[in-house]
Amino acid sequence: MSIRATLAVWAGKITTKILKLAGSGGTSLPGKVVLKLCPDILGCLAKNMKIICVTGTNGKTTTCHIIRDMLEANGNTVFGNDAGANLLGGVVAAFVSAASMGGRVDKDYALLECDEAALKSIVEHFGELDVTAVVTNVFRDQLDRYGEVLTTVNKIRFGLEQLPNVKLVLNADCSLTTSLNDLSHSEIYYYGVNGPLYEGTSSDISDAVYCIHCKHKYRYHYHTFGHLGGFYCDKCGYQRVTPNVALTKVVEWREQSSVVRMDVFGKTVEAEVMLPGGYNLYNALAAVTIASLIGLSQDKIIAVLGGLTTHFGRMEQVEYQGHKLNLVLVKNPAGFNEVLQFLIQQRPEGNIVFGLNDNYADGKDISWIYDVEFERLTEAASGAKHFYFTGKRAYDMQLRLKYADFDTTKFSVEKDYKKLITQLGQSGTGTFLVLSYTCMLEFRDKLSEFVPLKKYAQE
Amino acid sequence: MSELLHICHLYYDILNLYGDNGNIRTMVKRLEWRGIESKVTQLSFGEVELLEDYDIIFIGGGQDFEQELLVRDLFTYKADWLKGEIEKGTVILGICGGYQMLGKYYEAADGTRVDFLGGIDVYTTASDRRMIGNFIYEYTGENGETFPVVGFENHNGQTWLGDNVKPMGRIVKGFGNNGEDGTEGARYKNVFATYSHGPLLPKNAGIADELLSIAYRRKYNAELPSLEHEMEDAALNDIKQQLGC
Repeated sequence: MSIRATLAVWAGKITTKILKLAGSGGTSLPGKVVLKLCPDILGCLAKNMKIICVTGTNGKTTTCHIIRDMLEANGNTVFGNDAGANLLGGVVAAFVSAASMGGRVDKDYALLECDEAALKSIVEHFGELDVTAVVTNVFRDQLDRYGEVLTTVNKIRFGLEQLPNVKLVLNADCSLTTSLNDLSHSEIYYYGVNGPLYEGTSSDISDAVYCIHCKHKYRYHYHTFGHLGGFYCDKCGYQRVTPNVALTKVVEWREQSSVVRMDVFGKTVEAEVMLPGGYNLYNALAAVTIASLIGLSQDKIIAVLGGLTTHFGRMEQVEYQGHKLNLVLVKNPAGFNEVLQFLIQQRPEGNIVFGLNDNYADGKDISWIYDVEFERLTEAASGAKHFYFTGKRAYDMQLRLKYADFDTTKFSVEKDYKKLITQLGQSGTGTFLVLSYTCMLEFRDKLSEFVPLKKYAQE
Repeated sequence: MSELLHICHLYYDILNLYGDNGNIRTMVKRLEWRGIESKVTQLSFGEVELLEDYDIIFIGGGQDFEQELLVRDLFTYKADWLKGEIEKGTVILGICGGYQMLGKYYEAADGTRVDFLGGIDVYTTASDRRMIGNFIYEYTGENGETFPVVGFENHNGQTWLGDNVKPMGRIVKGFGNNGEDGTEGARYKNVFATYSHGPLLPKNAGIADELLSIAYRRKYNAELPSLEHEMEDAALNDIKQQLGC
């Protein structure tokens, strides 16, 4: 450990402390200070550790949480970056906070959620270390930030190319993700779902219609959601790889969980996954693949999956005025469609709130709500009591649902969160709140004036 | 027999970015709510058997990845048909990439040109500025009435208008065609071409009804019945206000 790195760790810790005293949480300043003093701080602190990077459009945070539980069940010590702090600065801050004043990090694993575009800047410091990288999927996300989905794939590729010894874990069902399998140096493992997830499943494959290699149109044996599924190209032969860890059957859908059968490196495992919705099954499969690679026993895998707590599964339940507020985060069309699928199964009879902001973190361009298939929810939500619209673009959201044939006599726009919370409290029924990122932060902030809330642990 | 407008969604599976499908949905719903039927034909590569007369043709925006394929298909199968539809007066809405494609060519920074349809007198040149954000332009309708159009633009091509087209509107806030001459979009016969995502039609009911009215008049020689647009206007006015206009 160089004096320079040690000083940088001190400076980082002091900056964090000062910011905390000043009442300002979660800024990127400590990371910047540390990097200024010691640009290779990650290389210095990560020595002798094993590293797991989780990247991809959807599911990073949840996947990290499940992997953390898997590692801890295996008796490993682990630290990671805070959800959402997934750029270089956030990762540096996590290392600094885990380091002793002497500049040592005494943990087995660093578990890092990495933004796709920031992956390269993070992993280029890890060189020859033991790194496992999970790529969950690539979907259209905040197009005004990244451009096209192929740009995102290439950003991930640039990152992985920095790692000569990387073990790759890829979602076999995503044609964009598995195209990363041409990184010749890699040891690669796949996970996937072996058949359609739901009946009448969505097949909006518009994020990846044409073969990434030969531009011929993909064909599908089945769809799970979005462009994920059993894809193949009958011109060049590019196709879904048989996964090492596969979901073979959903035995039962339950309100907050599902019972599934999996094939894990040739062994059949049946487990209850204590997370709602089909999208979380992919996150569970990614984590099960990691669990197998670290040698976790079948019994322990089942125990971890069955013991997950749902507050981080993109769904948080808050008790208010004797009824439940179910808060769900949405970031992009694919994620939103999955939330709709979940709502379809619930057939809600209470209120539904849709909240949309157009700040940078939500995506400045709100047109993506027209890529969300609200039409599929229309019938299932016909028994809902009332629809509220909130956030900066509440009126656009309201209009979207008008064009999906929802019952407009049940519509109200309420941009004032305080008034909205009061109305929900007086409504005498539960509520699903489906909110974009900064809308979620603002709403929770206001809600915490009414009920005690946990620190926000979602990306 | 009930009335029906036939809408073609051209290159529906490639030019499908930024929620532009919402434009089709809006046209279909605003017809349905008036008791008029619609039929949407999704048209992609090849499919020459579907090159017929339509009442409305919609072309959205797309990714660069597929552009080369698209241009090849356009010139192999569809150029004559589409030019014919334009000259005949079919209502055509082109958004962003679809707008550029209706023009004459795209010129890259190094001077190389990709030929486009040449259906309307505009061309596009590459630039290194990203023209992105909510924008507003003023549109003057068929009946001389002027009203604001709000959308989201996201392009770095600069489009320049020739003598044979008019702009679709004058920029109030944002960049428009090229960020320099204050114009946005292009109008030629019944072609409406614009950079406006958002998507364009849901909250700009005035434009939606303009397109539908022209198509309806051409087919049935009658005026399109009126239809309320309260929630549409609420969304329009709300964002207008947020943009300080």
